[in-house]
Amino acid sequence: MTTPILAVRNLAVEFDTFGGVVNAVRDVSFDLHAGQTLAIVGESGCGKSVTVQSLMGLIPTPPGRITKGSARFMDQDLVTTGAQGVRGVHMGMIFQDPMTSLNPTMRIGDQVAETLVVHKQYTRKQAQEAAVSLLARTHIPEPRRRAQQYPFEFSGGMLQRAMIAQALACEPAILIADEPTTALDVTIQAQILELMQSLQKENGMSIILITHDLAVVARMADQVAVMYAGEIVETGSVTDVFYHPAHPYNLGLQQAMPSNRHPDRVLEPIPGSPPDLFSPPTGCGYCARCPHAMTICDSHPPEMSPIDIASTHEARCWLHHELAPSENNPVRPSS
Amino acid sequence: MIRYTAKRILSGIVTIWFITTATFLAMHAVPGDPLMNDKAVSEEIRRNLEARYGLDKPLSKQYVIFISNMLKGDFGISFTQQNRRVNDIIREHFPVSAILGILAVVIAALGGMLWGALTALYRNRLPDITIMFLVILGISVPGFVFAATGQLALVHLNAMVGTTVLPVAGWGTFTHMLMPALVLGLGTMALLTRLMRTSMIDVMGEDYIRTAHAKGLSAQRIFLRHQLRNAILPVVTVLGPQIAAITTGGFVVEYVFAIPGLGRYFVQAVQQLDYTVIMGTTVFYGAFLVLMVILVDILYGLIDPRVRLST
Repeated sequence: MTTPILAVRNLAVEFDTFGGVVNAVRDVSFDLHAGQTLAIVGESGCGKSVTVQSLMGLIPTPPGRITKGSARFMDQDLVTTGAQGVRGVHMGMIFQDPMTSLNPTMRIGDQVAETLVVHKQYTRKQAQEAAVSLLARTHIPEPRRRAQQYPFEFSGGMLQRAMIAQALACEPAILIADEPTTALDVTIQAQILELMQSLQKENGMSIILITHDLAVVARMADQVAVMYAGEIVETGSVTDVFYHPAHPYNLGLQQAMPSNRHPDRVLEPIPGSPPDLFSPPTGCGYCARCPHAMTICDSHPPEMSPIDIASTHEARCWLHHELAPSENNPVRPSS
Repeated sequence: MIRYTAKRILSGIVTIWFITTATFLAMHAVPGDPLMNDKAVSEEIRRNLEARYGLDKPLSKQYVIFISNMLKGDFGISFTQQNRRVNDIIREHFPVSAILGILAVVIAALGGMLWGALTALYRNRLPDITIMFLVILGISVPGFVFAATGQLALVHLNAMVGTTVLPVAGWGTFTHMLMPALVLGLGTMALLTRLMRTSMIDVMGEDYIRTAHAKGLSAQRIFLRHQLRNAILPVVTVLGPQIAAITTGGFVVEYVFAIPGLGRYFVQAVQQLDYTVIMGTTVFYGAFLVLMVILVDILYGLIDPRVRLST
């Protein structure tokens, strides 16, 4: 495969709180390839937002800090440079709640134009014109009139379009979308996702999509990374992750999700709750909830290991070790 | 914006009428008679005044006389200071109070925003702790203490330099105004500092500030373009009543610094039950307060589009 546009290795982020140090992100590595969409999925608090925010240098320091790891983008390590000169220019970001993510006292057009004035040294007039055409590109009707309006005059869906226009102003190579549709109606969700896909086709950017909605993942992603308790536990292509789950957590997610192919199947929730990240477990983070846990799982953390030499499919689970039993092994491809 | 302004002005007029009527009734409810005190006026003047203001007639009649005079812009003649028209008293002395008040408000507003923003930027560090300590002093120590202290400081300053840097009291030039305006504005400045600090800290945690960081803007630009304007809103809201309070409440400071402002006449009139002066100054102050609130409402509309466009 070609060299990735963004390569994240062993990223770890922690936060000081009154309750102690939270190890929000413990060990995250992934590659993002040009023109592809990587979806990072996981439940609330698993560290997916923190991961991308640390790439953008958006972790408030203090209380947060990146303790180790690197994120290589265009010969630059985002971790050491704090993404200066990259964010807003080569990496754009949109957020979960468009209603609060835009400045309420600034015209939409000015907010979109601002990036161009700052990074591309456009004059005010040029930037305004560019902002209007960006709003048009994100399918906002009457962009010239809308550019003169304030966020409170926009609906949620329209605001998310404006956010996308703003994030794409400098033609970034990567768009990070942190739960971009969570706060929107289902019909609007579909429109926003469609918009992101068509813009990606136009300009060939890569997308990192953070979500906990597996339907969104299936629709949007090329690659998927499943996060659990601050770690990526499984990664691979959409097909691999959805149809050949290699980690018991991913397997549990699939069994908890309704499916069109087996409409009569009883949904099985995953029992228990994620581990306390104030004192991360010594072994595997999923061990306590895992129906297939072995003795070693509790004491030794598993490493990320390839499932299939031919693909990018990897999982972090002892069940793939050669010494693991092959009888009743849920994640090993049946032989 | 025009409708918004018109609405404010209309409700302002109703407010002024209400202030007028309430003051009129309250004043007449106080026992006593302006013409019966120790500095009794001659029988002839007394009869003239009674005839002119219908003082021997029922209250409703007096009210009508007063209102019709007021609509003509005539507040009448003082009952206790011979031959002084209330209009002249206001005309001569209000500008002094107003200049002092405006200067005090400017100092308070600029200072409040500056200190507030500083404390928010240096939250929980030495500059913040120092300023917030001074703020508590500013809020809790009464104005006359600051007035006397300020005066004393000027005395020492002038003695040290050997010449009059700033005059200790009196009125006339800009140098006379500085210390009293500062003293007058201190309380408000302290209040606005607290407000600005809270407001700045609130805004720093907003999602759109994170967005601004994600856009790769410099910290300076984020502070000036995104934080400040949103943080000022609550400060502007309290500015209107504060302007009125400072301008009309400068009595003590005016007294300590021997400044010929309107406040002194206002208080004197109440003590002597000088009907026309009480009515004149109260209505005037009331109108001034209402005007300031309207101005601030309009200013608020200019800053916050949600207010401007939704009404």
